[in-house]
Amino acid sequence: MRIDYKLNDKFDMGLVIPTLLLFFIGLAAIYSSTLNNPHASGNFHKQLVWGIGAFIIFFITYSIPTNTFKTLAVPSYLISILMLIVVLVIGKRISGAKSWLGLEGLGFQPSEFAKLGTLLALASFLSRKNTDIETFKDILFALGIGLIPIALIMLEPDLGTSFVFIGLILALLFWKGISLFGLFVVLSPGAVAVASLFGTYYLLGALLIVLLCLIIFKKDLFFSASIFALNLGAGFFTNYVYIALSPHQQTRIRSFINPSADPLGAGYNAIQAKVAIGSGGFWGKGFLAGSQTQLQFIPEQWTDFIYCVIGEEFGFIGTIITLILFLYLFMRILKLANSAKDEFLSLTLVGILTIYFIHLFINIGMVVGIMPVIGIPLPFVSYGGSSLLANILMLGVAANIYRTRKEYT
Amino acid sequence: MRADKFASLQRKSIIYFIIVGSFAVLGFRLFQMQIVEHTDYSEKAASNSIKAIEETPLRGVFYDRNMKVVVDNIPAYTLRIVPADYDTTLNKIIEAEIGEKTGYINKILKENRIYSKFIPVRIKRGINFKVVSWLEENSDHLPGVDYVVEMQRGYPAGIRGSHMFGYTKEITPKLLEKYKDYYKPGDYIGYSGLEKAYEKILRGEKGYDYVRVDSRRREIGKYKNGAADIPSVKGNDLILTIDSDVQRAAEEALKGRRGAAVAMDPKTGEILALASAPDYDLSEFSYVTSKEYLQKLYNDPEKPFFNRATMAANPPGSTFKIMEAVAALNSGVITTATTFTCRGGQEFYGRYFKCDAVHGTLNIVHAIEHSCNVFFYNLIYKIGMDRWDEYASKFGFGHDTHIDIGDEVSGFIPTPGYYVKRYGPNWPKSIMASLGIGQGEVSVTPIQLAKYVSLIANDGVTYTPHLVRGYLTNNTRKLVPFSYKKIDLGIDSSIFNIVKEGMFLVVNGSGTATNIRSKDILIAGKTGTAQNPHGKNHALFIGFAPFKDPKIAVAVFIENVGFGATYAAPVAKKMIDAYLEKDKNKNEEKKPIPDLNTKIIGATIAN
Repeated sequence: MRIDYKLNDKFDMGLVIPTLLLFFIGLAAIYSSTLNNPHASGNFHKQLVWGIGAFIIFFITYSIPTNTFKTLAVPSYLISILMLIVVLVIGKRISGAKSWLGLEGLGFQPSEFAKLGTLLALASFLSRKNTDIETFKDILFALGIGLIPIALIMLEPDLGTSFVFIGLILALLFWKGISLFGLFVVLSPGAVAVASLFGTYYLLGALLIVLLCLIIFKKDLFFSASIFALNLGAGFFTNYVYIALSPHQQTRIRSFINPSADPLGAGYNAIQAKVAIGSGGFWGKGFLAGSQTQLQFIPEQWTDFIYCVIGEEFGFIGTIITLILFLYLFMRILKLANSAKDEFLSLTLVGILTIYFIHLFINIGMVVGIMPVIGIPLPFVSYGGSSLLANILMLGVAANIYRTRKEYT
Repeated sequence: MRADKFASLQRKSIIYFIIVGSFAVLGFRLFQMQIVEHTDYSEKAASNSIKAIEETPLRGVFYDRNMKVVVDNIPAYTLRIVPADYDTTLNKIIEAEIGEKTGYINKILKENRIYSKFIPVRIKRGINFKVVSWLEENSDHLPGVDYVVEMQRGYPAGIRGSHMFGYTKEITPKLLEKYKDYYKPGDYIGYSGLEKAYEKILRGEKGYDYVRVDSRRREIGKYKNGAADIPSVKGNDLILTIDSDVQRAAEEALKGRRGAAVAMDPKTGEILALASAPDYDLSEFSYVTSKEYLQKLYNDPEKPFFNRATMAANPPGSTFKIMEAVAALNSGVITTATTFTCRGGQEFYGRYFKCDAVHGTLNIVHAIEHSCNVFFYNLIYKIGMDRWDEYASKFGFGHDTHIDIGDEVSGFIPTPGYYVKRYGPNWPKSIMASLGIGQGEVSVTPIQLAKYVSLIANDGVTYTPHLVRGYLTNNTRKLVPFSYKKIDLGIDSSIFNIVKEGMFLVVNGSGTATNIRSKDILIAGKTGTAQNPHGKNHALFIGFAPFKDPKIAVAVFIENVGFGATYAAPVAKKMIDAYLEKDKNKNEEKKPIPDLNTKIIGATIAN
């Protein structure tokens, strides 16, 4: 009993067990979806190998001294930026986006690791003693740290991963304690940008609301005017970026805004995904017995559409159990973030939580039809080495913080 | 004040509610889709399904060197079951219809359980037409049961070629693991011989037909009117180097024996015939190989699966004397003026070695003619072990021939080092005398002997022995030739003229194989009789014809029968006759390539 207690004290089963279960659910789904696909039939074994690698990485990350993360914050950020530039120059283009680096026959996505690098750098900056989140300068600096990788990832272009970074910046600023007005300053350009995608009337409407808010906040005129100008700029810049986007991403955004416009084109995956999930019913059709999956209606199902396999073959039971495992894991990280007294560590944990959460929400939201089809993997479940390793690396950081939590209180 | 805001309880609650709220939204949406709207989605899943039906390509056929079809395709029917749609209560009825025992279907379905339920499982191949019409009539009552026409191999030329052609068979799980990028369970793959060696050229490319299927997965029409279908592409046809008449002659002559016969065109390295006896009937393998037949073959003490032409390594006996003669003449150790005297035997290093007769004094030409052992005992001591090894190796002994069917052994040429290892540094030199007449530890394969006699016939130049000239492209029907390595010993033809004279006398003088002499075709050759511990001597013969302009070189090896001249030489003669008689009759111009689009299944699809 005493040994048990000691183990639990240093090692959080609450983080590891749900993750392991999610990984195994993912393996089953990868097996099922690649069974009849001659081009992907090796993926199950590859994922197993990645899993073993992830296991090792987890224990290394778990065991190193906790203050290493802070020491590594700036170097890892700089390396991430460097890698993102390198991938733009010599990267491999896979399904429209230049996001892969070839390493001896293995694919590698720098953007997966840039998430942790950016997170550590932001957390490090925000937890500095003399950082004042209410000053325009420090907000801008924080945004700058986040926007550099976003800009580089937009150039790949990888829309989904950019969303993750945006969410990450907002969550960290929020956790740091930014005021309502500060949040408004940061958020409003984003809202205007999204509105501009829907058309001119939406853009004008959004700008009107911004104006209204500025009047309510009653800041001085010059300050208000510059914020309004920023919003105006964001609206037009988005239009510019939209035009610069790759055609496949444009159609994806269009098909989300108006799904019936192109039911056989970009909307095809979304429709087939919903059919797969919906036809699964309560108990599912059984392992290896899902017609949508086995007949390969959804291309590359083992990556971004893996949740459909679970939905079709394991039904509502399967999808809900998966959700519950995620929810439990997230609550665990949140609780840990709340109890960690060290600002840097607490911010890091919230960042990890945010990255996981946005992945989950976009991915599952996409397959159940409440989000656009944006290519982004489901953590621990989707096939893919870079994504799995990066996510496990972050889990290792969280477990490490748990291990030494008493030293930092 | 601001520090209080960091990680405040209020902010924690906001994050908490965002997460829980999002999960609630997702959970609700899942509930809505998977439970409330489940039936709608199920119908959609069932009705919009498109099924891809794999179309197995026709395998390329084999032509012989005269464009005669030797291996082709014959249609046959296969009963299949799609487990997802099948009702196992039908087992009994179907088992009765196809004449199988109860539990037969269950067993096969069980073995295939690891694969998707939507992949049809082949239940029985080669079902007869009665079963096919029964399936047609009752298709409404037999969900998930169908049949397909598949091709089996046919052998229309009346030759067996068991070891050469090889057979195809259902892919084994082990091979499937290795080549899963192309093959699916139940696919056929070349498993031995040429079928295996040229699998990639022969197999073609799979095609796919897309059909729409309803909720019970029955076809309701073509998808996009077949516009999306990918037709299968027939495999390429191989043009073999063999001559089916020579092959037939070899197979018939070897019937009832254990042995092998190989004929080559010495100028090109093309194999005209390659037979190993006993052999087996390939048509038994082409579809439903009966277990009893397989069992019989495996248990046969004469080992019919064993390809003696490339795998049986035995002492070459006196056929090796030609190599020694070339070695001695070429290195200047002897000339035609050099003689030895045979008194019916001679002592070497304390051991007495016999000869078959008292030959008196003779030179190299007559030593070959009479196969005088005493001459060659003396000769190997003159040449020395190192040079003997060097020339044996030059002629390809102790090395693979790299014949295109793969499976072969390289035989063994002992070196001084080998004897030192075995007997120590003072190994008995008397052993060399045995080697001098091709006995002892030395072993060679029939295919090596065929290459060897080709080199002799063509004055030290030939090509890697091979069975395939090339393949015909599907659309243009043009021959894409394969190239083979030239072998050139770099020995002057005057040397070969001397040994060939001896070989000429073997048949046409007073030599050891005068029994196969004929007026029309002048054959030159050399007999061999190799002692072995397992019974009677092995009979060997190497030879070529016509003497002046060799067109065919033959090596024959027969186990445990006796004299080479009596048993092996007549086989060679039959093969030579089969090839050259035809040659004589065929003096009209070369036949054009016949119209391939007739009769032969497999050729018709191409255009």
